[in-house]
Amino acid sequence: MTVFKGFLKILNKCKGIVIMYTVMLLFFGGFTISTSDENSVNFSEDKPDILIINNDENSGITKNLISYIKENSNIIKIDNDEEKINDALFYRDINYVIYIPKNYRIDFLDNKNPKIEIKKVNDYNSSYANMILEKYLKVANIYKSEIDNENILIEKINDTLDEDVNVNITEKQNKSSLERMTFYYNFCNYSLLASIIYIVCLILSSFKNEKISKRTIISSMNYKKYNRILLLSSMLFAVCLWILYVILSFILIGDTLITLNGLGYIINSFVFTICALVIALFIGNLVTNKNAINGIVNVVALGSSFLCGSFVPVEFLPDSVLTVAHIFPSYYFIQNNEMLEKIKITSFGDLSKLFPNILIMITFIVIFIVIINIISKNKRKIG
Amino acid sequence: MKKVIEVKNLTKKYKKIKAIDNLSFDVYEGEILGLLGPNGSGKSTTINTILSLLKFQSGSIKVFGKEMNTDSYDIKRNIGVVFQEVAVFEELDVYDNIDYFCGLYIKDKEKRKKYVLDAIDLVGLSDFKKFYPKQLSGGLLRRLNIACGIAHKPKLIFLDEPTVAVDPQSRNNILDGIKKLRDNGATIVYTTHYMEEVELLCDRIIILDKGNIIASGTSDELKTLAKIEEKVTVEINNLDDRTLEEIKEFKNVDEVSYTNNNLIITYKKGENNFSYLMDYLKKEKINYNKIYSERPTLNDVFLELTGKELRD
Repeated sequence: MTVFKGFLKILNKCKGIVIMYTVMLLFFGGFTISTSDENSVNFSEDKPDILIINNDENSGITKNLISYIKENSNIIKIDNDEEKINDALFYRDINYVIYIPKNYRIDFLDNKNPKIEIKKVNDYNSSYANMILEKYLKVANIYKSEIDNENILIEKINDTLDEDVNVNITEKQNKSSLERMTFYYNFCNYSLLASIIYIVCLILSSFKNEKISKRTIISSMNYKKYNRILLLSSMLFAVCLWILYVILSFILIGDTLITLNGLGYIINSFVFTICALVIALFIGNLVTNKNAINGIVNVVALGSSFLCGSFVPVEFLPDSVLTVAHIFPSYYFIQNNEMLEKIKITSFGDLSKLFPNILIMITFIVIFIVIINIISKNKRKIG
Repeated sequence: MKKVIEVKNLTKKYKKIKAIDNLSFDVYEGEILGLLGPNGSGKSTTINTILSLLKFQSGSIKVFGKEMNTDSYDIKRNIGVVFQEVAVFEELDVYDNIDYFCGLYIKDKEKRKKYVLDAIDLVGLSDFKKFYPKQLSGGLLRRLNIACGIAHKPKLIFLDEPTVAVDPQSRNNILDGIKKLRDNGATIVYTTHYMEEVELLCDRIIILDKGNIIASGTSDELKTLAKIEEKVTVEINNLDDRTLEEIKEFKNVDEVSYTNNNLIITYKKGENNFSYLMDYLKKEKINYNKIYSERPTLNDVFLELTGKELRD
């Protein structure tokens, strides 16, 4: 009890660090949560910026084509000057240029298959503009082979293009909550890792200080029992911190945690918490200099969090960075979080999808425990 | 008397270097045994070996009549150690530090509270209970270090140079505390290279050099080993060679030296050496500032036995 009480007293001295990392989690996690509306539907129509250079008369099928393009895009007006057009494309003032040739209408109606020239930049909007144009031309060509009357042809084309595809959402998965949960737990990677390493290393550096250890060894307390109490105290701290972070996620995000996906986040974060604890114990056994701990936390917690996608979404990280990230347990923790965002867990069996990454984290735990034991045995040897 | 520690033919080597060489000695109940010797003489190694903090190559160690080893928790329960280095938690205040280390031995909360307050009182830290180690001066920190080592009221206490780098006020306080511990019945093994402390505190002294016992006994017994019986120091300005030669011819004189205006005369034995010298100085009309006579110190004994000073 004495050792445990001593642990708690020293922990109490370090509470500022826990508060700091928790506030960071609340601020950054809370910030993204407040900026996304849970009930919003994340569809928004995006229109490409198109320039139309019409060398034909503005009537009939040509006029209809231009009307359709206008409806589905932002028409930008620029002088018919190639240099200006190229500049506009370069600076992304326009995404796409359509050159309607002279006599397009007559040639089209005469089945001469007139060619429409285009100029574009390589981006999503230009592809979308291309799709709009292709769609019109395909429909027009299909009807042209059957209908000779221009007015009927235009009417048919417009009827077809006006048809909307109705999508009925049969089951609504709360995607927004899962995104927020993933962001929160990804950031938890940093807060858990940094808090646990910082606190456990600081406390162990006091208890494992050579002079204090000497005093403990010559006392009537069994040294193995003493080490066991320190280990259990560290574990209790880590688990309490994990419970706090889980409760905070429930407060911030709500019922999503009481789903099977939520259970996945809880299990995944628990395994990672134990992983963070053994990393902290490993460092705590190696480092006794309190001044070095701050640097180590920055390198290990901040470094692995950056590399593994704790702050930046994984899809934005280059492959080379992700390859390096494989050596950190954080990578597998974050991969599971990302997986939980994308899939819907409908049964307990579905949770097995998380097992491969959890198994890797458990392997990390076992490896670190073996190394810690080897280090401790070597340290315990008397001269 | 009952033996508390029995060390027989103890040898401890660091690779090929013998730190302790075939050492044998006993410590008796209720005594303060001084282990005296220069740095590197094997004092701390001897203590660490007795405490099973170090392995040894040969010999035997018994504490309270039982073989001592790392798992002798029943023996350790009655041992208190104050190491040379201050070993306290920076994050805990004075009370909590003592309470923590006392708690490694004493489980009963009320008893421990009383013991902690007794220890605080013993080392004179009553006004500093809520101070943190970094708020204490070097002397007060040493006192805290002692309190942490003896709060559980052990029967056997090892004090390894507890007064190193301590101001005179704290030193006196520490020495008074050690006397109180002895008066309360504790057996104390005290290592130091300050001979004055040993003379003041210890009932028996063992002088160590290069891991060997070169002499042991009470302070008076050890002083008989010195070839001189009296040392007279006179502060004189400008003493001429003729006078120096005449003094050398005095009866019982062993050596005469004159450096930095200090004339030091050592006598092998005899009586009235001091008054004879005074008469001579008066007759020769030699003016002096100070004159005093001393008995030989343990340092003189050490010098006699090893040819070097204790603080070398």
